[in-house]
Amino acid sequence: MKKNIFLLAALIGLGMGTTHAQVQKGSVLIKNATVLTITKGNLESSDVLVQNGIITQVGKNLTAPTGISTIDATGKYLMPGIIDAHSHVGLDVVNEASAPITAEIRMKDVVNPYEIGIYRALAGGVTISHAMHGSANVIGGQNATLKHRWGSKDPADIIMQDAPRTIKFALGENPTRVHGRGNGIQPRSRMGVEAVIRNGFNEALQYKKAWENYTLAKTQKGNTSTPPTYNERLQTLVDILDGKIIIHCHSYRADEIYMLINVVKDFNIKKLVFQHTNEGFKVAPEIAEYTMGASVFADWWAYKMEVYYSTAYNAAILQKNGALTSINSDSAELIRHLYHEAAKTQRYGGLTDEEALAMITINPAKQLGIEDKVGSIEVGKQADLAIFEGHPLSAYAVPQMTFVDGIKYFDRNSDQLDQRQWVAATEMVEPIHLRANEEAHRCMQDVDAYFEAFQGAFFSEKH
Amino acid sequence: MNKQFLKAGMLGLLVAGWLSQSVWAQSDPTGKRRVTSTYAITNATVFKSPSDPGSKATILIKDGIIVGVGTSLTLPKEAKLIAGDSLFAYPGFIAGAGTMGISKPKDAERPKDFVSSNPPDEIAGITPWRAAADFYTASSSQVEDWRKAGFTISQVIPDGGMLPGKTAILVLGDSKTNNFLNNNAAVAANFRSSRSMYPATLAGVMAKFRDVYQNTALVLDHERMFATTTGVKRPQVSPTQEAMKAVVQKQQAVLFTAGSELEIRRAIALQKELGFKLILTGLENYESVIDLIKSSGTPVLIKLQLPDEKSIKAQKSEGVTEATKAQYARVKEAYDAALKQAALLEKAGILFGFSTADAKASEVHQTLKTMIDNGLSEKAALAALTTNPATILGISKVAGTLEKGMLANLILSTDTLFKEETQIKHVIADGYVFDYEIKKKSQKTDTSAVKSENPSNAISVEGVWEYTSETPAGSSGGEITIKRDNGVLGGTITYDDPSGSGKASAPIKNASLTGKTLSFEFEVSAGGMSLSVLISGEINGKSMDGALSVPQMGSFPVKATLTSPNLAN
Repeated sequence: MKKNIFLLAALIGLGMGTTHAQVQKGSVLIKNATVLTITKGNLESSDVLVQNGIITQVGKNLTAPTGISTIDATGKYLMPGIIDAHSHVGLDVVNEASAPITAEIRMKDVVNPYEIGIYRALAGGVTISHAMHGSANVIGGQNATLKHRWGSKDPADIIMQDAPRTIKFALGENPTRVHGRGNGIQPRSRMGVEAVIRNGFNEALQYKKAWENYTLAKTQKGNTSTPPTYNERLQTLVDILDGKIIIHCHSYRADEIYMLINVVKDFNIKKLVFQHTNEGFKVAPEIAEYTMGASVFADWWAYKMEVYYSTAYNAAILQKNGALTSINSDSAELIRHLYHEAAKTQRYGGLTDEEALAMITINPAKQLGIEDKVGSIEVGKQADLAIFEGHPLSAYAVPQMTFVDGIKYFDRNSDQLDQRQWVAATEMVEPIHLRANEEAHRCMQDVDAYFEAFQGAFFSEKH
Repeated sequence: MNKQFLKAGMLGLLVAGWLSQSVWAQSDPTGKRRVTSTYAITNATVFKSPSDPGSKATILIKDGIIVGVGTSLTLPKEAKLIAGDSLFAYPGFIAGAGTMGISKPKDAERPKDFVSSNPPDEIAGITPWRAAADFYTASSSQVEDWRKAGFTISQVIPDGGMLPGKTAILVLGDSKTNNFLNNNAAVAANFRSSRSMYPATLAGVMAKFRDVYQNTALVLDHERMFATTTGVKRPQVSPTQEAMKAVVQKQQAVLFTAGSELEIRRAIALQKELGFKLILTGLENYESVIDLIKSSGTPVLIKLQLPDEKSIKAQKSEGVTEATKAQYARVKEAYDAALKQAALLEKAGILFGFSTADAKASEVHQTLKTMIDNGLSEKAALAALTTNPATILGISKVAGTLEKGMLANLILSTDTLFKEETQIKHVIADGYVFDYEIKKKSQKTDTSAVKSENPSNAISVEGVWEYTSETPAGSSGGEITIKRDNGVLGGTITYDDPSGSGKASAPIKNASLTGKTLSFEFEVSAGGMSLSVLISGEINGKSMDGALSVPQMGSFPVKATLTSPNLAN
């Protein structure tokens, strides 16, 4: 189909650039669904018209313009595509664990559109994932927001190019273990973590000043000032200070969450989201007051010391305190049933359907800065949609079809046994064994390899 | 300092060359000096270029230059004649981005204040100032192997990390002469990270590449200011920046190793972002990026090796499920597609040559034949071996075709190049003639038939061989015990234990005896790594002469003597 579009473009002479394959946009009319708009209530037996990747009409008895196919969703639920605010799917590298600050690292450099996890996420109704750097460093790399356009070969085609920049921070045990215990450098303690962040921002301020001075002097006659060293690590911190990048910070304990709130206040940084945030319930009002909220697990804890004091009521408590809250996966397995994870907030905390679904749609969209484009079913928004058999919060929910920009990338009826995009010519085909205990989460990926040369035994937990 | 060393080395080589030419010209105690440097290949079928249909002609070469190609040449008296009547002459092959004859630089010592988050460039694999020329050994058996396969010019890349150093272009000529055409040709780069230090991953390598590039650009600005304005502080240029200047100024290309589609995309993305001149090398999977390669105008050197057929051969026809069969089909489809890729490059009109890195010289003929069987035209194959790489490497004025004035690099084969039975009889590189034994196919099959029926007729290899091997680390040796069990060769080998003193022992794998050549592999474990070592040698009575090769490290001579034969009996 893609080929045909290319041919057509060539014939008409549109001069469609082959270097930057255009992202595909589709048109479709979905009829008679129970439409869960998230922001504008539920609409019974309603239709959603998508034209060229954008939702153009939501209502009853819509007719498809010529050339636009219709999908009958009678008895089914239509919801906005699920958004996962914490994922490592589709990345060839997760941790550049070699320095406490690696803000210059770009996850966009290492996006792998062939990874099967993307298709599996689509099969769980997930259309957008936040592909994050890992948590080995206090300030890790810049993340990529991915649109799950399965089948794309160019990494640029699955990156949501109109999403704002975000960056990974990490507090607590991971960075202190990797750098302090592992390498004998700062940070060795939670205090060290704070010092690394503060020193980083202060250095960034000096860096900014140095370049401002140079740029100004350059225009003067008889200038003798020479260019400062280029440092993308510090420039990225400058961009955070300038409000161009949203911080997404891996955190567990209430004290360190509150610490970071104070640090960003001191540096007048407004864009901050906490990730994991297991003790967020202790500082929910503070999170609500100053940050863009928290993205948490539904019920996952006790995998290391700092994650023992946890509760499944965390999301509900945060929500009731007015903190913007989302439920994330951080896992190639959980990402396939985030709707189920969201439903847990109803069992633990009694959230309404709308509140629970918001935690995997509009709320994560807000935390990623893309709520004007996705996260709800509204006219003018990008047509990232999921059709469910059964209400998505029901234990019997089964995703049927998933659309990104109006293009159907998953259909349960045409799901193949082997959905891989790429197979190596040298693959030795071995019998497939189902394994239990497979490591599902990748927050500390690449860290083992980084340390195995001279140590390693103490890396038993990963988050 | 490196540069000075190189210069001194070059001077030394030149002086030595001059001395050997003039001072010692009167006597030659070694008896090895050639009688003449003028040769005439008479009445051969000559293919001057890929598009030449071939015609009978005589080629006259003198002092490493082709001085004439034609039918009515006057041959000087000193010309040594090579009867070309039954031979086919082609321009010598040219390869890009090889590692033949390249040895690994010594690991730099870590400073006392070493911090893994900010290591010195040299330790982190950032050594663009290194020159492949300093690490090249013309007498290496790998050079011999590639020349035997028809290669007369190669670009070589230094061994190392993300920016290992400058490539060199050289003639695979006489090992006692200076063979360099250009020892500062391009800067090599790849996505290889430094383990256990920054940059430790592909993501780190890309960030570090930008950093090195941008700061080199700033240093150039600074130097310009310093040169034109008084009162400007002195620029302090690091060796890395010094070496990268030519890249930033677009005088030198970056030769980026990128095997997979994603690596190719990443290299081109960096190129688009920063604007350097790019040559891609080592391409293995590139079917889906052919349009991108074409539109970006990037010249490419594809790997001169096709995927291992092992996975296809391992597919079972019986006793497997339908699901497994479906998986087999996908691997087969991928395999078949891989064979067709070179043909697709031709179709797209992309300038491509070959890289010999990680390829086997002994399989070149078969590899080319397979590419041709899968749609690559013979003309395009020959162009990819001659004129294309000459263009990519910037040496088309002196190499790539068989014409008057070009370097005397040519192949004399027994038939047209890409036929199954064709063998190379002579390779002339830099005007030096290398002769190769022509194996008679029909006889060979006869003897092997006899051998398999009656193993006692086979050359005796069983017993204990004492061997010595010369490696850069010094001389080492041990015992090779060869046994034949139910007709299958096997045994053990002892070697100097790399992790301490004494000898270690390993079982012999994949042993085979073809004609007089015995070859086998064994695994050496060192520092948690396992290396596969290949020994291959020719047996003459009780002695064996051959080479020991270690992947990524090189090939070293090996000699062995049978000390206690017939141990098995």
